[in-house]
Amino acid sequence: MTGVTATLAMTHAGYVAAGWLASAALIGGYAVSVVRRGRKLSRQVPSEERRWS
Amino acid sequence: MTAITPAGTSRGTSPSGAPGPGPVTRPTVPAHTGSRGTRVVGWAAVAGLALLLLYGLVVSPADVEMGDAVRLMYVHVPSATYLYVGCFITTVASALWLWKRTPGWDALAEAGAEVALVFSFVVLLTGSLWGRPTWGTYWVWDARLTSTAVLTALLAGYLALRRLDLDPDARSTRAAVLGLLLVPNVVVVNRSVSWWRSLHQDATLARIDPTIEGDMLVALMVGFLAIGLVFTWLMMHRFRVAWLEQQADRVDLDAALAARRAEASPAAGAAGADDRDGGEVPA
Repeated sequence: MTGVTATLAMTHAGYVAAGWLASAALIGGYAVSVVRRGRKLSRQVPSEERRWS
Repeated sequence: MTAITPAGTSRGTSPSGAPGPGPVTRPTVPAHTGSRGTRVVGWAAVAGLALLLLYGLVVSPADVEMGDAVRLMYVHVPSATYLYVGCFITTVASALWLWKRTPGWDALAEAGAEVALVFSFVVLLTGSLWGRPTWGTYWVWDARLTSTAVLTALLAGYLALRRLDLDPDARSTRAAVLGLLLVPNVVVVNRSVSWWRSLHQDATLARIDPTIEGDMLVALMVGFLAIGLVFTWLMMHRFRVAWLEQQADRVDLDAALAARRAEASPAAGAAGADDRDGGEVPA
């Protein structure tokens, strides 16, 4: 619990939270877009071209 | 031959293209870029990120000078490292594309540049947010910050070039030439703190006596591991997307050629019939 209390009481908490959350949103959003593009394109291409399947 | 329906199921056809006797017993191939490998790396990345949250926000102590703002380092420094790795992959793959002309190298170069661009945004964002409490400003036209912004612009330019409506081979060649410039630019970014007077701190780890130790060093290493796994997962998926884009272009081109041939063949047949009916036949 000490660690959690220290985390809540950290200095510059706004900057730290903004940095971590924005990074997660950027990378997470990009990951979702890549997976979606992959699903869409996979439907247009013959299965034998999807060598990883 | 196998025809793919929109739902991803396959129907058998004879070698001549005529429909076969019925559905093939082959299992349906899922229409996505995932595989056993991406799932293993993906779950490892999730575990790594959970560990990074624990070490970066709870276990690691605050810095004596920077306070808790140092916790941004656990995202910023590994992201910068994988930005460099993405650029390195693009440059090497571009060189190999120019040499071998293998489509896989072209796809790898594109994947590396796009993932590197995402990491460059993370680096600029976390760097600005770290700079405000430590330097008193979000941005300054310092050597390290400016050269990183130039590298980001170069990556964006590379990807814009890849979207030009050109012959695919010419487009890939032009992009590959630009891709060769990424690693020299990374060297400038990396050495900028020693070549010019900079507000940015020197290397923390790449020296004989690292200026970081204990739980902070462990948290940074966990950051390298977790973000490295995320980078690997993104690269695997993005490479497959680039590969699929190439195949989809080829499928579209084949379909367009087939349509043109179908349009042309009745006309050619009619012209042939006219000739046989009394038209002049060249000697």
